[in-house]
Amino acid sequence: MKYLYYPGCSLESQAKAYDLSLRAVFKLLGEELLEIQDWNCCGATAYMSVKETVAFSISARNLAIAESMGGEVVAPCSSCFTILNKTNRYLKEEPALRSLVNQALQSGGLEYKGGVVIRHPLDVLVNDVGVEVIKMHTQRDLAGLKIAPYYGCQLVRPERGFDDREFPTTMDDLFSELGGKIVYFPVKVRCCGGMLMSTFNEVGLKLTKEILECAQENQADVIVTTCPMCHFNLEAYQKQINRKFGTNFQTPIWYFTQLLGWTLGASDEELGLKYNFINLPKEKLGRALEAV
Amino acid sequence: MNPKIGVYICHCGTNIAATVDVEEVVDFISKQPNVTVARNYLFMCSQPGQDMIQRDIEKWKLDRVVVAACSPQMHELTFRRACEEGGLNRYLFQMANIREHCSWIHDDRAQATEKARAIVNAAVRRVAWQEPLEVSHVKINPHTMVVGGGIAGIHAALEIAESGNHVYLVEKESTIGGHMAQFDKTFPTLDCAACILTPKMVSVGHRKNIHLLTLSEVEKVKGFVGNFTVTVRTKARYVNDKCTVCGACVKACPVEVPSWFDEMQGKRTAIYKAFPQAVPNIFVIDKEEIPPCIEACPIRQEAAGYVALIRDKKFKEAAQLIRLRNPLPEVCGRVCYHPCETECNRGYVDQPLAIQHLKRFALDWARKNKVEIKPPKIEKREEKVAIIGSGPAGLACAHDLAVKGYQVSVFERHSTLGGMLALGIPAYRLPRNLLNEEIEYLEKLGIAFRTNVSLGKTTNLEQLKRQGYKAVFLAIGAYSGVSLGVKGEDSNGVYYGVGFLRRVNLGIRTPLGKKVAVIGGGNTALDAARTALRLGAERVAILYRRTRAEMPASPLEIEDAEAEGVAIHYLIAPTKITRTSPVSLQMTCVNMELGEPDASGRRRPIPVPGSEHNLEFDNIIVAISQRPEMEVLSDQNGKPLFAITPWGTLQVDQDSLVTNLEGVFAGGDVVLGPSTVIASMGLGRRAAESIDKFLNRQPLVNFKTHMPKPIVPRGETFRPHRYSPMYKDLPRQKRIEMRKLDPDKRAKDFSEVELGFSVEEALQEASRCLNCGVCVECLECVKVCDPGAIEHDMSDSVQEIQVGQMLLATGFDLFDAQVMSQYGHGKLDNVLSSLEFERMLSATGGTGGKILCQNGKPPRAIAIIHCVGSRDENHHKYCSRVCCMYSLKYAHLVKDRTQAEVYQFYIDMRAYGKGFEEFYKRVLHEGSNIIRGKVAEVVESGWSNKEEGHLIVRCEDTLIGKFREIPVDMVILCNALEPRQDAARMRQLFSISLSPDGFFLERHPKLDPTATMTDGVFIAGCCQGPKDIPDTVAQAASAAARILAFIQKAEVELDPIVAQVQEELCSGCRMCNSVCPYLAISFDEEKKVSVINQALCKGCGTCVATCPANAIIGKGFTNQQIFSEIEGVLV
Repeated sequence: MKYLYYPGCSLESQAKAYDLSLRAVFKLLGEELLEIQDWNCCGATAYMSVKETVAFSISARNLAIAESMGGEVVAPCSSCFTILNKTNRYLKEEPALRSLVNQALQSGGLEYKGGVVIRHPLDVLVNDVGVEVIKMHTQRDLAGLKIAPYYGCQLVRPERGFDDREFPTTMDDLFSELGGKIVYFPVKVRCCGGMLMSTFNEVGLKLTKEILECAQENQADVIVTTCPMCHFNLEAYQKQINRKFGTNFQTPIWYFTQLLGWTLGASDEELGLKYNFINLPKEKLGRALEAV
Repeated sequence: MNPKIGVYICHCGTNIAATVDVEEVVDFISKQPNVTVARNYLFMCSQPGQDMIQRDIEKWKLDRVVVAACSPQMHELTFRRACEEGGLNRYLFQMANIREHCSWIHDDRAQATEKARAIVNAAVRRVAWQEPLEVSHVKINPHTMVVGGGIAGIHAALEIAESGNHVYLVEKESTIGGHMAQFDKTFPTLDCAACILTPKMVSVGHRKNIHLLTLSEVEKVKGFVGNFTVTVRTKARYVNDKCTVCGACVKACPVEVPSWFDEMQGKRTAIYKAFPQAVPNIFVIDKEEIPPCIEACPIRQEAAGYVALIRDKKFKEAAQLIRLRNPLPEVCGRVCYHPCETECNRGYVDQPLAIQHLKRFALDWARKNKVEIKPPKIEKREEKVAIIGSGPAGLACAHDLAVKGYQVSVFERHSTLGGMLALGIPAYRLPRNLLNEEIEYLEKLGIAFRTNVSLGKTTNLEQLKRQGYKAVFLAIGAYSGVSLGVKGEDSNGVYYGVGFLRRVNLGIRTPLGKKVAVIGGGNTALDAARTALRLGAERVAILYRRTRAEMPASPLEIEDAEAEGVAIHYLIAPTKITRTSPVSLQMTCVNMELGEPDASGRRRPIPVPGSEHNLEFDNIIVAISQRPEMEVLSDQNGKPLFAITPWGTLQVDQDSLVTNLEGVFAGGDVVLGPSTVIASMGLGRRAAESIDKFLNRQPLVNFKTHMPKPIVPRGETFRPHRYSPMYKDLPRQKRIEMRKLDPDKRAKDFSEVELGFSVEEALQEASRCLNCGVCVECLECVKVCDPGAIEHDMSDSVQEIQVGQMLLATGFDLFDAQVMSQYGHGKLDNVLSSLEFERMLSATGGTGGKILCQNGKPPRAIAIIHCVGSRDENHHKYCSRVCCMYSLKYAHLVKDRTQAEVYQFYIDMRAYGKGFEEFYKRVLHEGSNIIRGKVAEVVESGWSNKEEGHLIVRCEDTLIGKFREIPVDMVILCNALEPRQDAARMRQLFSISLSPDGFFLERHPKLDPTATMTDGVFIAGCCQGPKDIPDTVAQAASAAARILAFIQKAEVELDPIVAQVQEELCSGCRMCNSVCPYLAISFDEEKKVSVINQALCKGCGTCVATCPANAIIGKGFTNQQIFSEIEGVLV
C-alpha cells in the first residue's frame, strides 16, 4: 500500500517534531511515505465560511494530486484529517459542488474523480502495520511509564472513523502493548479549546486546564497527543494556566509518534525531542530491551 | 353507444380553484362528445354537491358521472354512494384527481388548467366504457383474534367478549399485562398501574368466551376478511393447570438468570412466574433448548441437572437423579466415552466440563455416605421376556422392562455377569465390586439372572418360546476377534484381544512372556496392552498402522498407557508371523505411509516398498476389531437364522430394533459392531419400549425413547442462553484434571487407576457449567411439587384457528440507550432507563419500591433526561409523547420518597392531555429544577477513579445561556418508544403496511386510525404509534366497536374491481398462479383452467398483464377503458 504523506502547514513549523518523528517511525517500520507533490493548505480555516466553493477547491487540489499519484493519503494533523475528509465527502455526495470544483481544478490541469481515502497515521500504524509487527521492531520498553493518551475531539469525530467516538482505545492499546501503563483519563476526547485559545482565551485556558488537571491527578508522567493544535495548547500555556488558576503543571507533552519512535530505537534528533518545551526525564522513560 | 355523462368540477374551496381555472375546464369539457351536463361547485363532497349529482341523474337521465376533485382515496367511495343513491350503479362513476395530481403540485395557472383539462377529458373518455358491476358479500366468522395481551389487547378482548362473541387472545409471553404491568404509578392521576390493570387481567382469565393463549405466537395467516385461518404455535409451559402456585419449586431450582420483567435488573429461577399477579396464574419453565449434554446422551441422562445439583452441594439429590434414568450409573461414571462432554458448550470457552468425573463423584459420595436408593414401586405384569446377554444392552433393556412390571430373565453364557463390562474392560478401569453392586440393584427389581446358559447350545429360541417367553432381546455382543489375514496368525502364542481379556477376567490362566506386541489402535488394544503389563510383561509395544491422530482409542487412555511404559509405534503393520522357537515368535513387519482417505474418512495406509523387517516377541495380541459370533446366530447346519449386514452384524429395523423373526429384538454390539457402553444401553432402552408396545399389541411406531439428534456446531459468538455473554466473552477457567495413581507404581496390579474428585474439586468443576438453555432438568421442582403439575416432556402445540377479524395490539419496544454512549447507560453505575426506574419504583421490583443507588444509599440528587432517542436526527425523529409526563411523575415520586433534588432536562414540555397541565403545575410547585437544554454527556465526577464519586450531567441551560455541570447520584433516561423488533415480520404475516418510522400504518391518520388497508385487520395502541394509556384504551375500544359492527352485520362487501379468468380462453399454463401476491389464484384440475378467488383478489392487475393468452380481464380496468383514458389525455 502506497502511503501519500500530507504534512500540512503546522508540521512544517510549530509541529516540526511531529513531522520528524512520524517520518522516523515509518522509516524504522520499513513503510514508505511519499510526500504529495506541491501540496497546499488543506482548507481548515475560516475561509470555508466566507467563500465555500473556493475553499473546497483549494482543499480538493490536494486530493486531485493524490489521486493522480495513487495511494492512500496519510494526514497527521487532526484538523487536516477532518477537513480533507469533509471535502472528500461533500464532493462525493454533491454532484453540483463537484462539477464546480472540477471546473476550478481544470484550470490547473487537474481533476478529482472521488477515489481518494484519507487516513490518520495512528490508524495506519495500529490497524495496517499492526501491533505485532511494531513489537517485532521495538528496541526499548516503556517499563510502566504512566501515559495519558489524549485523542482530542477531531480525531474520532465527526466522521465515523477507525475508533469509538466517545471511548477510543487505539492509543491505549498500542502503548500498553509496548509496556506503558495507561492512566485513568476520562477527558481523552474533550476539546482543548482549539482556536479559542486565541479568540476566547479564558475559555481556552479553562478547557486546557481541565485536561492537564485530570492527567496530573492520575499521576501521568506524560500526555501523548495526535494533534498539533492540542499539543500547542497543552504545552505552551501551562505557565499561564498556573498563574491564572494557581496550579503547578509541569507536564511533558509528546506526540504519539515521538513516544512510538522512541520505543523503536530512534535518536533524540530523529524524534525532534529538542522541540518539546517540557522535559521528560530519561529515567522515567523506561529502558532498552535486551538484545535478542 | 351514446352514454350521457355528467361532469362536475370541484373548487375544493381554494385548493383547486386557486390554481386551476375551473370555469374554463367546465367550458372545455361541456363541448366534448357525450357530455350531457358540466358544472362546477365549491365543495362537491358536501350535501348540496351530492344533491346536485342526484338531481341531474334524474333530470337528464344520466348514465355516467365524472367528478373532478381530490384523490379517490378521499372521496371515491363518497361519490359512488351518492350515485348509487341517485339510482346509478356506483361503478359507472369515475373520479378525476385534479388536486393532488394537479393544483397542489403546480404553480403556473395556465399550465395547471391545461393539465386539468387533460385529466378530466381522460376520465370522460374512460367512463364511457365502464360497465355496471355488482358488489358481492361474504359472511363474517363472528370469532375474533386479538394479538398482544397488553392493556390494548386486554381492553379490546373484554369489550368484544361483552357481546357474547368469542375472542382468542394470543400473547407471546407467559402472562398478559404487557408493559403496563411493569409500571408503578401512572400519570396524571398517579393511579397504581397494577390496581387498574389486574382486575381486567383477572376478568380476561375468567371469561369463558375469551380463549387465552399465552406463550403463543402467530405463525401463518391465510384467508381474507371474515374468513381467516390462523396458525398459532403455543410453546410448552412444562407446568399444567394443577399448579397451586405454592412456590416450592422456585425454592428448589438451582438456576438463576436475569428477569426480563425487571428489565434484567433482578434475577429469577428457571421455573418462575413473571410477576406475582400474572395471568394465567401458573408457573412456567424457561427451557430455551435442551442442553447439548442431555441431547447427546443415548439414554438422555440429565447431565446438566446433576451437575447443577453438585454445584449446589446437593450430592444426595444428584446421585438420586442419576439413578432415576441410568440403570448402570457406576459403570458409566467410570468407562463411558461421554458424548455429553464432546457436545458440552463450555468447549467453546475453554474446555468441556468433566461431566463423567462429576457423575462418579456423586455416586462415590452417595456410597460413602450410605445413601440408600430404593427401587421404584413396580406393578407386576405376567408376561415373560427373555434377554440373551448380560452386557450393557441386555442390562439396560432388563431394567426398563422390569420397572414396567414384566417378568425378565437374563441368560448369560459365561459364569460371570456383565458382558464386556466384566470380560473386556479391565478392573483397573472398572472395579468389579462396583459392577456387582449394579447387578445387585437390578436383582432387587425382580430380574432373574441365569449364568452358563448359551443360546444355540444349552437353549434356543424354540425352547424359550415353549417356556412361555413372549419376547426375546438378543444382546450377545461382538466377541469374535477379526483376523489380520496374515500367514501364521493361528500360531501358538497369538491371542485375539477380546479373547485375551476374557480369559484374564475370567481367571483362566493366560501364559504371557516378557515381550508382548499388541496390533491395533482401539480401546481393546489399549486395554490388552495395559493388562499385559499388569500380568508381568516387561516390554509391551503397540503397533498401529496409521498415526496417533487416527487412533480410535481415547486420547487419555493412550496417555495413561504411555505413562505406564507402553511403547507405541506408528505406521507399522505385520505381514507374516513365524514361530522361531518354542517361546518366541517372529513378526515380519512393513512400514506404512498415509495415502488418500478411505471409506471411513481416514487416510489409507500404504506399505512402503522395501521396508520389511523382523521383530521378535514372546506373544502377539491381535486387537484390530470384533464381530458378533456367527455360530450363535445360525442353526445347527450353519445357516444364518437372521438377516446379516455386509459388516457382519445383525440387521434390525432402525426404529423398533425388531429382527426378521417376530418377537425377537436385538441391540448392542451385535447390531452396532464394536461400539460403546452407552450406545448399547441406548439401544437396550429403545428395545424395552419396543417390546412393551409389542406385548401390548400396539404398532411399532411413534417411539418416545430418546435417540440423540446431530448437534449443529456453533461458533464462539453464540451464547449458552439469551441472558449469558457470548462464549468468547466468558472468563476462561481451567478444567479440573482427574488425579491418578502414580504411573510407576500402578502397573503392578489391577487397582483402580483414577482416584476420583474431592469435594472441592467437584464444586469447582461444577461451577463451570453454563446452564445452557436455562433449565437443566435437575427435576428438583418435580420432587417438591405436591399436585404433580410439572411435565418436563411437554411439547409445543400448533393449532389452526378460524376467525373473522384480527386486531393487532403488539405494543412497543424501548430504545436501547446504550447506543448513545455519551449517557453512559450500561457503563456507568446508576444510569437507568425509564423501565428500569419503573421497576425500581414498583413494590414488586428489586428494592421493594425504594429509590436506592447501587451502593444501597438513597440518592441526593437525580437527573431526568428527556428525549433519549426521540426528536433526534440520528435515531428517531418523532416525539415519543409520554416521556414529558412520566418525567414529571418521576419527579413527583422522587420528591415523595426521598430527600433528593430533582433536575429535569427538557427540550419542550408536552403536557397536552386532560389533567396534564394541572399535574405539571403541581410538580413545579413541589420544587423540581426544570432546565431547558439537551444534555451533552453524563460523566463520572472527579478525575481520579479512586474515590467513590457521583455523576456529573454536563448540559447547556439555554434559558440563562450558560454551560452547566450538575452533580447527581442517579440519572434516569427517557428512552424513546420504538416499534417492536419483529414489526417487519408481523406486517408480512398480516399483509399490512408500516409507516416510515416503522409503526403499523393506519388507514387514515385522522378519520380511521385503528383500521388498516387490509380489510379485517385492525390495529390499536402503541404498535400504531407511541401513546399513553388513555389513548391506547380509546383506540382499543374504537377497534372493538368496528369489529363488533361487522360481527353484527354478519357480512362484508367485497369490491368487484377484481380479475376474472375467461375460461374459454384459458390455456391452463398456470403462469398467473405464481405471480399473484395475494395467493388468490388456484388451478381447477377438472376443468384445467385457472380460477381466481374473488374475495382474496385485490385487483392489482399483475395476472392480467402476465397472461400470455389475454384470458384474464381486470374488471374496472379493461383494455378499452385504459386506452380511452390515455387517448383522453393526449387529445
